[in-house]
Amino acid sequence: MKGFSNQFKDLPDYIVKITKEIWEDRGLATLHHYYEKDIPMRFPSGLVRGNAGVIDGTLATLAEFPDRALLADDVIWSGNETDGFLSSHRIVSSGTHTGHGAFGAPTGKQFRVYTIADCAAKNDVIDDEWLIRDVGGVARQLGWEPSEFARYQIKTEGGPDTCQRPFHPSHDVQGPYTGRGNDNEWGAKLATLLQRMMDKDFTVVRSEYDRAVRTEHWGARGAWGCEFVETDWMRLRSSFPQAAFRIEHQIGRNDAGMPNRAAVRWSLTGKHSAHGYFGAPTGAEVHIMGITHAEWGERGLRREYTLIDEVAIWKQIHLHTGNVT
Amino acid sequence: MSRFANLPDYIQGVTFKIWEGRQIASLHKSYGPDMIMRSTAALIIGTEGVIKDTLASQAAFPDREILGDDVIWCGTEKDGYLSSHRSVIRGRHTGHGVFGAPTGKVVTTRCIADCFVQDDVITDEWLCYDFSSMVRQLGHTPRDWAALSIEREGGHNSSVRPFTPDQDRPGPYKGTGNGHELGKRLADILTRIMDYDIAVIGETYDRAVNVYHAGDVTGWGRPFAEAQWMQLRTAFPDAKFEVHHTIGRDDKGEPDRAAVRWSLTGHHTGHGVFGAPTGAPVHIMGFTHAEFGPWGLRREWSLWDEVAIWKQILLHDAT
Repeated sequence: MKGFSNQFKDLPDYIVKITKEIWEDRGLATLHHYYEKDIPMRFPSGLVRGNAGVIDGTLATLAEFPDRALLADDVIWSGNETDGFLSSHRIVSSGTHTGHGAFGAPTGKQFRVYTIADCAAKNDVIDDEWLIRDVGGVARQLGWEPSEFARYQIKTEGGPDTCQRPFHPSHDVQGPYTGRGNDNEWGAKLATLLQRMMDKDFTVVRSEYDRAVRTEHWGARGAWGCEFVETDWMRLRSSFPQAAFRIEHQIGRNDAGMPNRAAVRWSLTGKHSAHGYFGAPTGAEVHIMGITHAEWGERGLRREYTLIDEVAIWKQIHLHTGNVT
Repeated sequence: MSRFANLPDYIQGVTFKIWEGRQIASLHKSYGPDMIMRSTAALIIGTEGVIKDTLASQAAFPDREILGDDVIWCGTEKDGYLSSHRSVIRGRHTGHGVFGAPTGKVVTTRCIADCFVQDDVITDEWLCYDFSSMVRQLGHTPRDWAALSIEREGGHNSSVRPFTPDQDRPGPYKGTGNGHELGKRLADILTRIMDYDIAVIGETYDRAVNVYHAGDVTGWGRPFAEAQWMQLRTAFPDAKFEVHHTIGRDDKGEPDRAAVRWSLTGHHTGHGVFGAPTGAPVHIMGFTHAEFGPWGLRREWSLWDEVAIWKQILLHDAT
């Protein structure tokens, strides 16, 4: 790996090792090296600039959940040493709520959720990032409804006028990574599949998914079979039926010994104009950052993982309605 | 394989036809008349028994779906195929049957079936349902359910015997797998675990491994895998471990994977999930499927039948 420390044999190895070093091995200070000083980090909850903010955020999370474990479920990646890599890293994150922090006073409760981090890496340094944690899944497991937790966030961040704004493309800054992924067929296949669902062509589920598909969705919810897939995507789309759907980044891979797989980052931007997953319509302008990973087998798409941050969506809705208490 | 594209297609097709397609009677064609089905719960000989068993299950769970999670297979058209079929089974308990009066509960469980297929006919089988996960979802403990089953089947003397090797009959399938390196890799891991070399998990499992064990026990990470395997072994510390069948596959576009059928045969001499030692003779038919990734074994599914184990223990206690 040209430009990278020789302890790393390939990009997945780099991503998995530095994640462990930073979190479980407590190397927060290594972020001064591994993260670019001005890195833009786009969380659904808001844009964070610079590695100092990343380090403080990591510290706050570890203080709240000291036993937090990050298990690398998969790294789906594209790029090269010259142009830079993009790693879409799916993580199983768990921890016990033993410290004070963003979720309030310690509850002693445990959580387990998926997280997907899209990181751009070049010359041993991560310089651009998009990160979705299943905040709704954590909130639920710690005893909150995501909608209520969004209200709590608004309150503890100083109220509707001063609280952190969830990420919206109008806040975005141009980072060093300008790639759109690779042109592998499996990335194209997943992008087309998502596009068709967002075009309300839900027949795509029965025609493209394995009937034994396992799905893991936001809110720490998982299920077997096509019905859950159809219903959950319909409920999401139904809340924002006119929102603009955009494929932001797509990767496909057919590595030997691994299933054919893909990672697509996408977004929905528009009005909360109908009933669905987010209750009665409010007309709020909402931006949703989404990442979907998929694996295929002989009978179609057999494992699907999709994350959005429900709490960031509720926050946008509450800030619009003013119903914040 | 005339009507089917390949062996997995055959297995999935036949399973769908028999269950969701209601063609229970088609078992007369797809199962050999003298087939030997070694279910963990009992030895069944002949298609008639299999058909009655299938009907009883469908009557209890009429909307039951069998979702084929994977088919790991070996063999050839000439010699026949061995299919190790891992499925997820889901249905609502709306009918009377082996699980008693309907409870209206939706039950989701897993099954691994090793079937020998020759000329589109299944003539030999080894089968494990995750019965303890089913009975738990229906509101029972595996022990209570085993005790209740013995009572319902007429008590100690007439109760159906869980499968043990002394009941076995030789069937047409004599194979032991395909000799593939990935199968050997999984068999070695299991053998080392059963030799109390639990460190093998730290050496060969991905730290992000996801594990499914009997009883719908699921978890992530090596410590979980270690704890689960130790929990099983410690209840039967002196039992003899045997690997019976080993398949490995490195199909293009599929994860590297393996299927191993194994057994533990011995006595219940240790404390553990089956309570204080009773000295009962116990046979455990076990099935493990695994997928490997760049950092080791990353997904493991292991089934055995905890209800059948309890039944052996309770039948011994009663003697």
